[in-house]
Amino acid sequence: MDRQQEYVLRTIEERDIRFVRLWFTDVLGALKSVAVAPAELEQAFAEGIGFDGSAIEGFTRVYEADMIVQPDASTFTVIPWRGDNPGTARMFCDIRMPDGSPAGSDSRNVLRRALDSAAEDGFTFYTHPEIEFYLFKEPYDASVGPIPIDQAGYFDHVARGDGHDFRRAAITMLEKMGISVEYSHHEGGPGQNEIDLRYADALSMADNIMTFRTVVREVALQHGALASFMPKPLADHPGSAMHTHVSLFEGDKNAFYEPTASYELSQTGRRFTAGVLRHAREITAVTNQWVNSYKRIWGGGEAPAHVCWGHNNRSALVRVPMYSIGKGHSRRIEIRSMDSACNPYLSFALILAAGLKGVREGYELPPEAEDDVWALTDGERRAMGIDELPQSLSEAIQVMESSELVAETLGETVFDFFLRNKRQEWYDYRAQVTPFELDRYLVRL
Amino acid sequence: MSTPPQPLPGELVRAGFTDARRAERLLAELLGSMPGEPAGDDLTGALSVTADPDQALLAAVRLVEADPATGALLAEAGTARDRLLAVLGGSSALGDHLVRHPEHATVLADPEPFGRGQRFPDPEPLCERLTAAVAGLTGREGMDALRVAYRRELLLIAAADLVAEDPVELLPDVAAALADLAAAALEAAVVLARAETEGAENVRFAVIGMGKTGGRELNYISDVDVVFLVAPRQTDARTDADAGERSAYSSLDDAIAVGTSLATAVMRICGQSTGEGSLWQVDAALRPEGKNGPLLRSLESHREYYQRWARTWEFQALLKARHVAGDETLSEEWLDLVRPMVWEASARDGFVENVQAMRRRVEEHVPAAEAPWQLKLGPGGLRDIEFSVQLLQLVHGRTDEELHSGTTLEALAALRDGGYVARDDAHALDDAYRFLRVLEHRVQLHRLRRTHLMPSTEADQRRLGRSLGERGDAATAVVQRWRAQQREVRRLHERLFYRPLLAAVAKLSSDEVRLSPEAARVRLGALGFRDPAGAMRHLESLTDGVSRRATIQRHLLPVMLGWFADGADPDAGLLAFRRISDTLGTTHWYLKMLRDEGSAAERLAHVLATSRYAVELLIQAPESVSLLGEPTGLQPVSRETLHSRMVAAAERHEDPADAFTGIRAVRARELLRLVLADLVGEIDQPALRAALTELTDELLSAALLIATRAVVGDADPAARMLVVGMGRLGGREMGYASDADVMYVFEPVEGAEGAQAQASEIIAVLRKGLSGNGPDPVLELDADLRPEGKSGPLVRSLESYAVYYDRWSAGWESQALLRARSVAGDQDLAQRFTALIDPLRWPDDGIDQGAVRDIRRLKARMEGERLPRGADPRTHFKLGLGGLSDVEWVVQLTQLQHAHEHSGLRTTGTLAALNAAVEAGLIAEGDASVLRRSWTLASRLRDAGVLWRGRAVDSVPSDSREAEGISRILDRPPGHGGELAEEWRRAARRCRAVVERLLYGGPLGHSRSPGRSRGSAGPGGHRAQRA
Repeated sequence: MDRQQEYVLRTIEERDIRFVRLWFTDVLGALKSVAVAPAELEQAFAEGIGFDGSAIEGFTRVYEADMIVQPDASTFTVIPWRGDNPGTARMFCDIRMPDGSPAGSDSRNVLRRALDSAAEDGFTFYTHPEIEFYLFKEPYDASVGPIPIDQAGYFDHVARGDGHDFRRAAITMLEKMGISVEYSHHEGGPGQNEIDLRYADALSMADNIMTFRTVVREVALQHGALASFMPKPLADHPGSAMHTHVSLFEGDKNAFYEPTASYELSQTGRRFTAGVLRHAREITAVTNQWVNSYKRIWGGGEAPAHVCWGHNNRSALVRVPMYSIGKGHSRRIEIRSMDSACNPYLSFALILAAGLKGVREGYELPPEAEDDVWALTDGERRAMGIDELPQSLSEAIQVMESSELVAETLGETVFDFFLRNKRQEWYDYRAQVTPFELDRYLVRL
Repeated sequence: MSTPPQPLPGELVRAGFTDARRAERLLAELLGSMPGEPAGDDLTGALSVTADPDQALLAAVRLVEADPATGALLAEAGTARDRLLAVLGGSSALGDHLVRHPEHATVLADPEPFGRGQRFPDPEPLCERLTAAVAGLTGREGMDALRVAYRRELLLIAAADLVAEDPVELLPDVAAALADLAAAALEAAVVLARAETEGAENVRFAVIGMGKTGGRELNYISDVDVVFLVAPRQTDARTDADAGERSAYSSLDDAIAVGTSLATAVMRICGQSTGEGSLWQVDAALRPEGKNGPLLRSLESHREYYQRWARTWEFQALLKARHVAGDETLSEEWLDLVRPMVWEASARDGFVENVQAMRRRVEEHVPAAEAPWQLKLGPGGLRDIEFSVQLLQLVHGRTDEELHSGTTLEALAALRDGGYVARDDAHALDDAYRFLRVLEHRVQLHRLRRTHLMPSTEADQRRLGRSLGERGDAATAVVQRWRAQQREVRRLHERLFYRPLLAAVAKLSSDEVRLSPEAARVRLGALGFRDPAGAMRHLESLTDGVSRRATIQRHLLPVMLGWFADGADPDAGLLAFRRISDTLGTTHWYLKMLRDEGSAAERLAHVLATSRYAVELLIQAPESVSLLGEPTGLQPVSRETLHSRMVAAAERHEDPADAFTGIRAVRARELLRLVLADLVGEIDQPALRAALTELTDELLSAALLIATRAVVGDADPAARMLVVGMGRLGGREMGYASDADVMYVFEPVEGAEGAQAQASEIIAVLRKGLSGNGPDPVLELDADLRPEGKSGPLVRSLESYAVYYDRWSAGWESQALLRARSVAGDQDLAQRFTALIDPLRWPDDGIDQGAVRDIRRLKARMEGERLPRGADPRTHFKLGLGGLSDVEWVVQLTQLQHAHEHSGLRTTGTLAALNAAVEAGLIAEGDASVLRRSWTLASRLRDAGVLWRGRAVDSVPSDSREAEGISRILDRPPGHGGELAEEWRRAARRCRAVVERLLYGGPLGHSRSPGRSRGSAGPGGHRAQRA
């Protein structure tokens, strides 16, 4: 047993913790949990706890599979919303096969592998997400549709706004769980909020995002609201993105930073960006994994439907944000395609893999897009060599199916599970008769 | 001035000079330049004990020339002169240095320059002297001053070393002094670097010694391994008025930038060549992430790296880490951080794999050209000793803190005292290490060059020999001594690890090591034995007693244990060895073969620890072990030999049952031969598949012979018989797990009665004779591909075949016939049968679109139906997506369509037909290579599965030990078994994409339903394929 594990066991005793939730994530990014009594924890550290591993295969599980969850002691945190005494705590887990080797179907392990590969080149990968979501009135009545809790807009201050209290409560709780919040404000849509997490290494951040979604839902409920990370809940208002700033570090040095380069973006940074762009279409099925995701991407406005980059260009897929002279540490690029309902482990792994491929193979960065890409005609975009992201989940799946990069990064098992799930989702969606069709056809045809 | 008395040339030669004339002249010159009237004899005598009298004399002449005052030193006999001449004779580089700095000659005069009885400097004063030498200096001036001061100290160490009565004894002190000197030089370099680096006052900076520097066992010249550390200097806001300004500098980023400049400066100050030469290269490659990593990083980043990313060997390197220069508190902070992790590390995952990898590293990385002269690398070199010691530290250091020394010889002594290695082994190893190190030191000292090679010229060898006290033919003597030592190390290296294990169980002589049973179990566990207690029992049984067998096995086992440990299943290997030895141990040849036949023992150990299939075959017929000792034992026998052996075995026995046993015993032996050849890598896969097919052909021929004889006796036969091979047998692509797919054909002999009955009886006898337990694994005869399948008659006449194919034949039957080949029986009948089926399988004008569509539909249906219940379509080798069956269908469809136009396609072999299709331009080479890759990988994985488990596997086992075993048979490095499933799925996925395009005419898209039903077995159609 290492020190971290000893620390966890001691804390549990000192703080009278009666339940420990072991968290893990399925291939679609849904949080799963097993609760164990503290007495079992020592064994859980040593040998893990057996469970039916097919639980992580998403909606289309086929075979039962004996697997083991093994808690990662460094992620131990007391859960604040369960009350103080007696308390509840949680730890994220790695999923292993019965013989102790990492399970091929574990999302967390996919990201670990990608990070290990980067580490071989001396890189660590940092991410900083801006997570958007909507707050609706509770309870949700399907016959009425979702009703936002306010009618405010971008950065609006809402007097006695529930959202305001909510954000303060959510941030307090996040900080209690050791997740630093950098920034929070009201977003563009009614009831839409954004909370930015302080940058951290990608694995911790993916864990944080999983925690974040749980915390936000819990706190919303306490405030009589329903929090939703659905990519595009309201047709007429902006969707919920998870713009993510990413950077590579070599030791303590930001590898994207080069004081003399254009936008202070180093060659590594440019090649990384080129990699993300070149493989953007292949990884879209993962970064935007729901049928609904494509309604956000193709909803116009600031949604990045086109594969290009720009400096402070909010219609570009990759944005090289403003920089302040001499702050080399914070040099980064912002990837704007991901939405708040993605599986952060898989998405980060793929972005890293795509970027690293650019770095390793020395991809050329295409010219910058300076205009609002939405305002260009199809012909203009074609002339400028600007490709577009898939139109639908179906197209995204097709592109992903033939991607060696995605197969290699996710591993054949997750690759297969994921595609199986997504195909099923598409078939289910395709079978629907939507209100749109009824409105438009029923009477007229 | 009168000429001093001079020795004669003959005396000079006896004194060790090689060029007496030149020596005579130089000696005269030297004597002439000395004060007073020195005695020539006396000086010659002093020169004669040096390593190289010619070199010493020449250097002395040059020295006196440079500074006549030094003549006084040489004029007078005594230790001062002996020390000076020893240095001049032992090192031409130091001689050059003295000529440039004659003032250093006098420092050699004092034999105890560091106080009474002390031959080597203490670290602190040494450090003070070097830093004082560079005080106030900068740039080139500072670097020169450092070099001069360093050499001055080096002279003293070299002098003490060279005049030592027993340099081997003194070695650890010399090595420690050299490490201290390096540390002092680094300290001085840090002083210089700080002086020239802006902002240096705001950071704390330290140098950690790694490798031999850290272990205090440095060479005269080698890279000095270090790790640099930096941290912002803490500013105290309450007392420091400049706090505000300072804090701007103390951020981590700036500290790292300053630290990087300092480190770069230190490396340059030590490594760059100036007028005074250079010290040595400073190598910081042992830092986190090695050469890829940044030169400096924060302590926090170090912590994160070691906790998260570092590999086991990196922790092993940390074993020797020690503060050597700069801010000692910073070093201590870092050491406190990493030290606990060193020993925690060995408890991490993959420890056994790491240990095994380390054992192999001992033998790798030696450039072939240098290997014979290597002192350091290569078999029996210094690295052997160092790694052996470190490995034992790693294995036993987890539980025994006494073993945590960073110095090789100290660690060895601790291992000895703890009973982990035999006392005499430790002693011998200690001797060997010192001797090799002294050789290395003396070689390096000559020119102060970084080299680890024994000199290859006679002059250099002579100097080396003489410096170790050899006289006469010193060159030959020293090389011989070295070679002997090398052999000893090689032997020790093997014994060190394994012999104590035997001693623990075998209760040998009282002087032996006393490795506790617990420690023995730990060590066996570290070697990869999963049941150390069981292994101990086997060892005990194998080595117990005083028989010749026990004695030889005691001798063999230490080495064999290492080979077992290299296999995927050491426990099984040792157990199998015990079983075979129990059977064969008393034969005259078995132990002799293992002891004397070169690689036989190694190969046996490898085979036993790798393959259950081989073990089963060997246990059935232990005497077949002799194949390993025969020079051509592992070459497949020729077809003719195989044929005559089978026929002989068939004819030797009157009784059919005995005859069948006879031919099956021949098969067992030949099968074992192929298995052994496969396992030791002496046969490639195509050759193996061909050989397995030939073996099956011959077995069936001989079986038909016996059956016919049994049924017909001496009478005239009523029917001519033919056995047709189908599937893999027909395609000459048999694997270990392949059934023999067959059809039986007869033809009545003109005018004879009862042909059908006789033919049926013959086949019945043949099938019975080859079934059931026998000396070989049962060859399954599968006749399901015959007309009408299971419901049709087992044996048909040629005519009946003709009628059937003419009237009823389904498309899939033509397809199955693509791989039909006559394997045994009547040759004429074979020709007629072939003539019958050729137009069916290679139809004129190919097949029409309707037939193509039918084949596609059948295939599509079979994909859902034929897969066994519960099997995953992504992983099944044979029937899964992208598996063997997929590839075969693509090839066969191409054959049916195009065999009439391209003769190359008229073959029964899958790969042969695929290659022909490429040549004919029908399949693109890119696609073919994807198909080939999947087909060969699946075939190989199936075969490897049989070898490893003794029975067939349908997919890569999910159990990681099983996967590892299979991966090792594929000759993959240890620890990569987990990648196999992934590798197969990848190959299959790519293959499937090609199959969908070639077989179905385009990607199916993803719009088809994902949940394919897997219904009950359908009608006859799904028997169409046999892989």
